[in-house]
Amino acid sequence: MTRIASSTAVQIRQLSYFFGQGDLRKQVLYDIDLDLPRGQIVIMTGPSGSGKTTLLTLIGALRTVQQGSLQVLDQEIVGLSRAALVTVRRNIGFIFQAHNLFESLTASQNVEMAVELLDRWGDKRQKAVQMLSQLGLADRVDYKPSALSGGQKQRVAIARALVNQPALVLADEPTAALDKQSGREVVTLMQELAKSQGKTILMVTHDNRILDVADRIITLVDGRLETDESLAS
Amino acid sequence: MKTPLALLNLTHEKTRLLVAIAGVAFAVLLVFMNLGFLGALAKSASQIYSQFDADVFLLSPQTLEISTNKAFPRERLYQAAGFAGVERTMPIYAGYGQWRNPETRKNRSIFVFGINPDDPVFLDPEFRSPQNLDALRRPDTTLIDRLSRPEFGSQQAGTITELERRRVTVGGQYVLGGGFAADGTLLMSDQNFRRFFDPFPLNLISVGLIKLQPESDPDRVAAALAAALPKDVIVLTKPQIVDRERTYWISTTSIGFIFGLGVTISCIVGVIIVYQILYTDIADHMKQYATLKAMGYRSGFLVQTVIQEAIILAVLGYIPGFIISLGLYELTRSATAGGLPIGMEWERALFVLLLTLSMCILSAVISVRKVVLADPAEVF
Ligand SMILES: Nc1ncnc2c1ncn2[C@@H]1O[C@H](COP(=O)(O)OP(=O)(O)O)[C@@H](O)[C@H]1O
Ligand SMILES: [Mg+2]
Repeated sequence: MTRIASSTAVQIRQLSYFFGQGDLRKQVLYDIDLDLPRGQIVIMTGPSGSGKTTLLTLIGALRTVQQGSLQVLDQEIVGLSRAALVTVRRNIGFIFQAHNLFESLTASQNVEMAVELLDRWGDKRQKAVQMLSQLGLADRVDYKPSALSGGQKQRVAIARALVNQPALVLADEPTAALDKQSGREVVTLMQELAKSQGKTILMVTHDNRILDVADRIITLVDGRLETDESLAS
Repeated sequence: MKTPLALLNLTHEKTRLLVAIAGVAFAVLLVFMNLGFLGALAKSASQIYSQFDADVFLLSPQTLEISTNKAFPRERLYQAAGFAGVERTMPIYAGYGQWRNPETRKNRSIFVFGINPDDPVFLDPEFRSPQNLDALRRPDTTLIDRLSRPEFGSQQAGTITELERRRVTVGGQYVLGGGFAADGTLLMSDQNFRRFFDPFPLNLISVGLIKLQPESDPDRVAAALAAALPKDVIVLTKPQIVDRERTYWISTTSIGFIFGLGVTISCIVGVIIVYQILYTDIADHMKQYATLKAMGYRSGFLVQTVIQEAIILAVLGYIPGFIISLGLYELTRSATAGGLPIGMEWERALFVLLLTLSMCILSAVISVRKVVLADPAEVF
């Protein structure tokens, strides 16, 4: 199956989402329409509980879409089997609020776990080291997470998310656990890498100081897209 | 090479790993000891028959095993002697007697064999050394088994004590072993046996031994004897009587059940320990495993990782368990003065290894459900 890459990384039409069953059923997303062009850095903000994480997990093929249409990297993911969803996820880089690194593995090994997904074991170490170096961790590749600072750990997590050159990166409050300066550093590095490789980034953040890295800022309030503002770069 | 996640996760928590290895080793040890005793039992039950120079055996159908025998008419042995292929028939008298330790003067039950001194009953030539043959022919004299427990006292030739409240002199020694039925054995002439166990009619015997001519087929002769002799005796070949004795001890008595239960409980203990360790390990790595799933790893990979951890624990626990068992076997042999022939057999070593692996993999399968059900969406 060949697919011609369109200029849109994510296309969302009339997407709604509900948690719970029966009387406890609660709608958290209402008729979302959203297009993310390739290469764009989009920041999503909004009050806590507005549905940002839920939307991110839907785009990331981590939840099953209930209503509406969702195309990720030119593939309609509504109705895909679990196994097919796993394949979609391999083209997406995830960065979480917590770094979720294996304490038992070195920085390099944590990143190599991602490379191994491609069944390419020969040059995995080289790729991991290269990625870590780009994130300023060249001298930390063989350190375990316990020997790294919070900012360094989050950079290892970013290296793990980006090492396979995913076309789409989803980040949920990646700087929330970091101090001001490391948060800024991490976001700037993400921006540089995304720009140089033409990636699409969708990042949820409450951190006003990092809004300037975005090409576009969208706001979610009570499960509805409230504002959508493009920034002149 | 793939990142050895299972190994690294296990070795990261050193204390937990040591506890896990100790737990598996303990279970392995318990299984080895139970199977060792069971094996020794089976072996010692058959040991005595392998030392008789006979091919076919006559027993009363009411005889459960050699030490709880029911006597039958000696006449049957005379009848058997006339059959084609039979070279020689030899009677055995057997029963428990009270032996007084000459030093402590305490009585203890000992198992006594009575034979005709002219019969070459045993394969081992030591039984027929000139000194032993001479002693067998003297009145109120017995040979004593070197494998008898030390509680029976001196085995020195010339020792004088009491058997069944009657003066007896030790005339020599031999090596036989009483297995699980007896702590010690004596061997004496049929005439002496009758004297000590008076009234004991010599026309009733405990076991009839039949030695065949070299070219005759034991199965065929046994079948012919069974067809011709009255039903107050059963006819068994050597493998059959060994098997009958073994089956009695293992299946008919509760001994087999007890050791089987021991093995089962050891395995359950092992499964619970390994389950605890794996479950804790999984719980600690839940976020990481969910992240792997989000990245695109399939549940199969996680299952594989947990099973690898289980296999590593199985192997690492088996090795010390095996080594300590060898030591305990040795200790048991020396504590029983060789009377309990407990030893490692490679079939058992392999069986326990496979059992340990299955035990650990079972624990892995139980504990892994948690990872498989992990929802990557909940990581955000
Ligand atoms: N697993 C869940 N089950 C039920 N309700 C949930 C679950 N996850 C989130 N919610 C609810 O959905 C709404 C949106 O949550 P979320 O997407 O996490 O918001 P945000 O990330 O913007 O803070 C909230 O009201 C939250 O309580
Ligand atoms: Mg959230």
